[in-house]
Amino acid sequence: MVRFENVGMRYGSGPEVLRDVNFVLEPGSFTFLTGLSGAGKTTLLKLIYLAEPPSRGLITLFEYDLAVAKRSDFPALRRRIGVVFQDFRLLDHLSVFDNVALPLKIAGSRTADFTEDVRELLGWVGLGDRLQAKPPTLSGGEQQRVAIARAVVARPDLLIADEPTGNVDPEIGTRILRLFNELNRFGTTVLIATHDRALVESTEADEMRLVEGRLVQLRKGRRPA
Amino acid sequence: MIDNHPIMPPAEGTKPLDLMIAVMALLAGLALGASLIADRVATNWQSGLSGKLTVQILPPAQGTADDGLKLETEAALKVLRATPGIARARALSMREQASLVSPWLGQDDIAAELPLPQLIDADVVPGKSVDTAELKRRLKAVVPDALLDDHAGWMERLRDVTGGVIWSAYGILLLIAVATAAAVSFATKARLDAHRDMVELLHLMGAQSAFIARIFEWQYARAAALAAAAGTLAAALFFIAIGGMDSVGIEAVPFLPPLGLSPVDFMFFPAIPLSAGLIGLVTARLSVWSAVSKIY
Repeated sequence: MVRFENVGMRYGSGPEVLRDVNFVLEPGSFTFLTGLSGAGKTTLLKLIYLAEPPSRGLITLFEYDLAVAKRSDFPALRRRIGVVFQDFRLLDHLSVFDNVALPLKIAGSRTADFTEDVRELLGWVGLGDRLQAKPPTLSGGEQQRVAIARAVVARPDLLIADEPTGNVDPEIGTRILRLFNELNRFGTTVLIATHDRALVESTEADEMRLVEGRLVQLRKGRRPA
Repeated sequence: MIDNHPIMPPAEGTKPLDLMIAVMALLAGLALGASLIADRVATNWQSGLSGKLTVQILPPAQGTADDGLKLETEAALKVLRATPGIARARALSMREQASLVSPWLGQDDIAAELPLPQLIDADVVPGKSVDTAELKRRLKAVVPDALLDDHAGWMERLRDVTGGVIWSAYGILLLIAVATAAAVSFATKARLDAHRDMVELLHLMGAQSAFIARIFEWQYARAAALAAAAGTLAAALFFIAIGGMDSVGIEAVPFLPPLGLSPVDFMFFPAIPLSAGLIGLVTARLSVWSAVSKIY
């Protein structure tokens, strides 16, 4: 699904944020990416969801070698990835419903075909009564749930979440994790960046740990039940 | 009821940009109208003089009988009417001659008291030419003081002047059109800059450049066209008002040509908002593609 070989990353002429990173995400795996703030987690995720090119090394995504893949192939690759951004990146002028439906519109689906699915998903994340609300009127936790719903609505092959439970209470956090597990059970590969140890310990998923830009620890766990 | 409004955010804080486009469109409209007027006036001047000949017979010296002038005029008219290619020849009345000099001497009877030369106005058959050298020779034979003017020198100078006026007007129109295009392009880019985060998000979610461009281009094209339409309408109203002034007396001002536009002239005006809309659309599309290509 995802393969990194000797990947290094620096922004401009600054210091290397990631150094010689090697790992493989198998299809259907569930992995936590842990590390302190500034360890390079977000940068590593950006490389996977094609927001930045690596400074060196090879990345293979869905069997595409990104070094030789055509740029015109990237949109289709990106549509196979659902991303929960750390800062949510919701569109303030759109309703909760329209924000969540955005990936489906981009994929060319008609509104009539996905209206019920979007309603159901928003009900599942506890926002069934906020379909018409605009993001600025929502709490941080509610915004995060909208961002999560948007990331999973198109049933992506790969789900990437950057601190997805950072702003929600434990009960909602557990619920979100259950949603991720559910998606994973149906075949979605999940990669969650977090520094929430309790979240990591609550499952026996794989864990990759970044320390100052190096992937120093790999724990092979059981797939979550 | 599910909210299904477009992805594009509502235009906010764009009034100064719209105002800038409207003002540029107003200037473009004024330049367009001025060019059309200059073109028409120049054409009228030239067509008014082409195909005309004027014979001038100097007045008799003081103390000489006035009959001499009349006889010479008759003789000159006879020569003109017998010349191949001349359709019509007519001696101007004293009243007509006085009105010709009235811009300089006023409407008083001063002109009537002056020893004005007799003018004969001759029209050339359209499409025919007259051998002016031969005509001059024949006129001199019967009226030694006769002067023949085929307006060639004046026409030449007029052609130079009107050509200069027309090209200057079109040059100014072109400059203003370029400035208007730049203003529309600048406004569109400024609008897009305000939504760069949205462009980046859609790009990262896998939207094709064409999908993102479609979201922006029609709204920007519409905004540019509407703003330009407001400016163009103001320019058109200006020329309608100027045209109204013709009918209340401005036409009576010597040498000032009618400044109104014809209905056909006004048909050129919609080109301004249409061009502005097209420029907005193309700029939006190119700007989106450029922004997306920089993201990775």
